[in-house]
Amino acid sequence: MSTQPKHPDDNLMERFDRAGARRFSARDAVVSMFIAAAILVVCAGASIRKAGHATRSGIGRTAVLAVGYPAGWIADRLPAHHAAHVLTAWLSPDINLSGPGFSQPVSLTTTGAGGVPEVTPDAFAAGDLGLPPPPKRPLHHLLVTGDSMSQPLDQNLAQQLTPQGLTVTRDPHIGTAISNTVLVDWGKLARHQVAQYHPDAVVVFIGANDGYSMPGPSGKQVNCCSAAWASAYANRVREMMNTYRQNGVARVYWLTLPTPRDSARAKIARVVNAAVEVAAQPWRDQVRVIDTVPIFTPGERYRDSMTVDGQPTIVRQSDGIHLNGAGASLAATIVLDSIDQDFTR
Amino acid sequence: MLFPSVQFGIFFPIVLAISWALMARPGLWKPFILIASYIFYAAASPTFCLLLAGVTVWNHGAARLIHRSDDDRTRARLCALAVAGDLLALGIFKYYSFFVQALARALHSVSLGLPLPLLTIALPVGISFFTFQAISYTVDVKRRLIEPATLLDTSIYLSFFPHLVAGPIVRAREFLPQLATPRDPEHVAVSAGLTLIGMGLVKKVVIADYLGRTIVDPVFGVPQAYHAPDVLLACYAYAAQIYCDFSGYTDIAIGLALLMGFVFPQNFNSPYRATGFRDFWRRWHMTLSRFLRDFLYIPLGGSRHGRWRTYRNLMITMVLGGLWHGAAWTFVLWGAYNGLALIIEHALGGKIKLPGWLRWFVTFHLIVFGWIFFRAQGIGLAWTLLTRLVAFGAPTLWTFPILLAIGVAIVPQLLPPRPVGRFEENLGRLSPALLGTGLAVLILFVAATVPSQGVPPFIYFRF
Repeated sequence: MSTQPKHPDDNLMERFDRAGARRFSARDAVVSMFIAAAILVVCAGASIRKAGHATRSGIGRTAVLAVGYPAGWIADRLPAHHAAHVLTAWLSPDINLSGPGFSQPVSLTTTGAGGVPEVTPDAFAAGDLGLPPPPKRPLHHLLVTGDSMSQPLDQNLAQQLTPQGLTVTRDPHIGTAISNTVLVDWGKLARHQVAQYHPDAVVVFIGANDGYSMPGPSGKQVNCCSAAWASAYANRVREMMNTYRQNGVARVYWLTLPTPRDSARAKIARVVNAAVEVAAQPWRDQVRVIDTVPIFTPGERYRDSMTVDGQPTIVRQSDGIHLNGAGASLAATIVLDSIDQDFTR
Repeated sequence: MLFPSVQFGIFFPIVLAISWALMARPGLWKPFILIASYIFYAAASPTFCLLLAGVTVWNHGAARLIHRSDDDRTRARLCALAVAGDLLALGIFKYYSFFVQALARALHSVSLGLPLPLLTIALPVGISFFTFQAISYTVDVKRRLIEPATLLDTSIYLSFFPHLVAGPIVRAREFLPQLATPRDPEHVAVSAGLTLIGMGLVKKVVIADYLGRTIVDPVFGVPQAYHAPDVLLACYAYAAQIYCDFSGYTDIAIGLALLMGFVFPQNFNSPYRATGFRDFWRRWHMTLSRFLRDFLYIPLGGSRHGRWRTYRNLMITMVLGGLWHGAAWTFVLWGAYNGLALIIEHALGGKIKLPGWLRWFVTFHLIVFGWIFFRAQGIGLAWTLLTRLVAFGAPTLWTFPILLAIGVAIVPQLLPPRPVGRFEENLGRLSPALLGTGLAVLILFVAATVPSQGVPPFIYFRF
């Protein structure tokens, strides 16, 4: 083993050379890395496959699934995966969601005689019938949830409402989608949130990650963004709305997606928004759809900035998807106006 | 592509193996590592590869022209032009929206229109780091500290994936000599590299992300909802989080480079052990500190022109250093706060004798206080948070795991370095198979702490 420097920069390596310590070679580096990789395939191959399913379509997803499928296949056949899960599961910060979720096709249709969908009184807003609005109730607990779209809206609402003595629970689930249950199943999550927090009102802002294929009414996978996909999506949204409204006790404020900059995403957003509008129809007074498109992107034309309080203001983040602080502040004002129609605070 | 991600877990072992297989043949190795680095960068956004390539070609061309000229004035002008180009790229991508919106509002207040479009521009990941490295290359050529490299070597220097997105800011004269000859395959710091990778993962995923989601994000997001004990704990938690997040990234970057046979400079040296602000900046983000010193503070005159010029130079350096972190007034304020602290420390110049422990105590708390401006999402929120520090009420977030995480992040920095050194020595005796097994087991446990939403990006990715 040579102790003479071979390279002009070898003195930099001295920082990592310990007296009397073993000198490793490049072969050792590669061997140790591949042993680590092999153990991870055996013990966590299914997680690699799951990570692939949770990735948006593209080369990255293809690459991860190219490794994930064989890794998952190996892990499924060996006991190491189960053993590793048993040893490490206690460290998981995730809540254990139970009960039926979106893994099964959702079918909510309430049918009357002859299989025709039944219209219930909840489908009518009092104002539309010329009736006086229901009396306002005090708002005690607001839940703000969704994917990354719900940030920083949730923060803005909490900053405004907390000093008034209200409880605002912020429960964002970043990177999640209603159409993909790999990261989180929103059907289960909505039930868990209601059981845990019992909110008087729920603000939902979600859909930026949607567009995954999912089982349609017949159980067959349907791809975005056909009418079949929109109906499957609307059924999931409707189930969530039904959970959040808590048999009419609570109110739901569901924000549509402002048109994103990217045209492919804009196409998905349009279908998501259409599905949300349809999903809310049975409960007009209990589930209010707050349409952000006319506010932020009139005519579904993307824009970074707009006039807010007479000032030219950037309202979108540089990704062309999310609202920035100023945009979220404007959205919060609109949400609060809507909440004030139903609640006192 | 995040280091703690499945994608990178697939990418790196393949690149490592091919890299060492080709190492003896630089004609193959160099194009390979360049392509691998660009694939790594393209995973974030393919279009920004053009920007990276553009910055590379611009600085390579400038360095060549500078090198050809013997006239110092011509060299200086060319260098100034090159640096201006780099700063222009940085300015457009990082600061355009910030300054144009401020300008639009100012013009609007006097009923004038804005001559520039008010729009957002996506921030290319790592732009602050690779433009600074490009500047260091061009300026070092101008100063005759290094010879200009080939376009291929310059490209590898700026894009080498372990340091591409968040440093450390490696100087050209540290990196280019390592490209001159193939790395020695019989001398690779495997145990140190794996130890750093493991420590970095634990710091980032287990400590920083845990503190972020359990206390820092809630309290800094809505300080109105919390009272003094929780706000105070959140300030300490953020000090721990940002250290673990950034030094964790750096540990992984240095560890990956070591496995590939490259050595990066140290970026952190127990920063919360500092007993003064000057001491702190010698221990925190050391490669940025020395960049600001060599390319801003000293060219401004450093401490050579009297007390007031020194103070001015300190303030300019720290305010610009603050602004480097992001286009927001909070960063300017944080930079000015650090500049003021350095000026006061300079002015006192040892006139007040304090015991070591008291100097540490005061420094540590002043640094933690400064982080409030760094983390707050606006000056208004920073002010709200400060007011909540005197809003007395019961603690709700003082849990054992949070206290433990803060303690694990901060206390070891106050201890003598010997236990860590002994731990690394012991690891150095293990076989590669055991080291690989140890890393895998560690990754399994670290991965189990990741919520379903995945690992959030490193804080410094947005800088």
